Amino acid sequence: MIFYISGILLILIGMYAVLTKKNIIKIIIGLSIVDSGINLLLIAIGYVNDGTAPIFSNETLKAVDMVDPVPQALVLTAIVIGLGVTAVALALVIRLYDHHKTLNINKIRKLKW
Amino acid sequence: MNISPVHFIAVPLLAAFLIPIIGRFSKEFVKVIPGIVLLYLSYVAISLFPVALKTPIVEVLAGWKPPFGISLVYGPLAAYLTALITLMGFVIWVYSYKFIIREPIEKYYMLFMLLITGSTGIILTGDIFNMFVFLEITAIAAYSLTAFLRDKDGAEAAFKYLLIGSFASSFFLLAVMLLYASTGTLNLAEITSKIDSVAMSTRILILILFLVGLGIEAELFPLNGWAPDAYSQAPSPIGAIFGGIVVKAAIYALMRLVFLLFNFSEVFHFLLIMGIITMIVAEMSAMKQQQIKRMLAFSSIGQMGLVIIAFSVGTSDSVQAALFQMFNHAVIKALLFFAAGYLVFHSGSKKISALDGLGRDKPLTSFFFALGALAIIGLPPFAGFWSKLYILISVADAGLITAVVLVLIASVIEAVYYLRVVSRLYFNKESAQETEVRRTPLTGLLAMGVLALVIIVVGIYPDYIWNLLKPAAEELVNKAEYIRIALLK
Repeated sequence: MIFYISGILLILIGMYAVLTKKNIIKIIIGLSIVDSGINLLLIAIGYVNDGTAPIFSNETLKAVDMVDPVPQALVLTAIVIGLGVTAVALALVIRLYDHHKTLNINKIRKLKW
Repeated sequence: MNISPVHFIAVPLLAAFLIPIIGRFSKEFVKVIPGIVLLYLSYVAISLFPVALKTPIVEVLAGWKPPFGISLVYGPLAAYLTALITLMGFVIWVYSYKFIIREPIEKYYMLFMLLITGSTGIILTGDIFNMFVFLEITAIAAYSLTAFLRDKDGAEAAFKYLLIGSFASSFFLLAVMLLYASTGTLNLAEITSKIDSVAMSTRILILILFLVGLGIEAELFPLNGWAPDAYSQAPSPIGAIFGGIVVKAAIYALMRLVFLLFNFSEVFHFLLIMGIITMIVAEMSAMKQQQIKRMLAFSSIGQMGLVIIAFSVGTSDSVQAALFQMFNHAVIKALLFFAAGYLVFHSGSKKISALDGLGRDKPLTSFFFALGALAIIGLPPFAGFWSKLYILISVADAGLITAVVLVLIASVIEAVYYLRVVSRLYFNKESAQETEVRRTPLTGLLAMGVLALVIIVVGIYPDYIWNLLKPAAEELVNKAEYIRIALLK
């Protein structure tokens, strides 16, 4: 249960950061906090109390004693994707800083509807 | 023995990895590779099309039978969309060949190949998490391509797109997670057969998360704020890719999920209203744009609104009309972006007011633009007319007269702003400033010529395409059939 609550809390904290912070770097940090929250939730779904790793390392192990391996595989993929997005975002921040000499998002907004 | 549909994903992905390496040795060869790849894929798409119409191909990857492993489902709908994507991709490559002259060329083509990989992946996959992965591949390539020109506005547009896009993907992932938690599987067909046992409140939550997650890529109002910036700051062929390929894949994903998992009439009503709002707001915004590519972007959003309206009527006929409109929009909007790309290049400004009198200087490019404009408004001899007509007929059949009226009003607005540009091209006096004479390269004209030819031929013989779309539309509407096929029963 604690995993679910902390996962949802992380998502909310991250969203708060993305929506309210003015510094672009902080916004990106917010995005990765959201990612971590989702990853934690995913792991929590597959978790079995006192479960072991889902590997048949000895014959006495039964499938019900193992945690669900699928969410873990998903999380691995999601972490890699999150890393990629963060890297692209930071590359864009470098370019934005080169052009505008500021990280404040209010001073960068030129394009509008 | 047929060629496996896996090639649609594997070949462009391999090419995307090889391009930077080959780029170290020969810049010229790098420019040719995407052409070869897309030509090959177009060949595969066309040769597999009749096979998929007869018996849908389900490709089991790595020997894990569905629902356990990841499978590709290549039915009539997927066959149609992959054919559209690969053929459009090839035309866009022909256009890019001389248009993208700025370094780093190999990065442009690498990202281009990744976009193709991602879009075909979204369409082919039968696995919901796999769909997320391909969505992210597409999105990351799209962010980078938006910033390709390395200018101030490009970086800003890309950052805006990235912020909205990564929010979207978080929502999508949450929805996937909830689906897994409540059904215990990731296979789309298996989820569909189990979804009825899920509590209604959970289902609605999942639906909202999916709508937000995919609505952003599908340019659904009010989540489309990124689109005008991204379309206008990216190089013109990228605008054509966004409008012709990426959005199509996203709309496909949205509609596939809605038809399979949330098949209630309230959802369709909601989508219908959202489609109408998207269309009206976008057409109104397009009216007041000063820049030609922003205008095209808003028009593209408006067209997507029209497609969503047609999908959400939910009958087999209206879905067929929506698919036809998707085809026409891909072809016509690509032509408009191609022509606008060179018009902007020739006039040296993105402003519509800079286009005065270009019709005399650049007769061919201007002619193609005018043709595209007339086609997208829906004038009779061109392709756009038929799809709009079929949409209106199917909407009227469903008894939604208000929607018909609103679509017609939107068409009038559309006509106003497109004809404004066309009249500037032909009837306004040329502005005094003399720019150096630059010719549109042959490859650019070739790409535009092919698209213009398709528009006219489809306009005269719409039944060929129309009949091809019938099985595709039936596949989307009939979910029991999809489950049966995808689970190899």
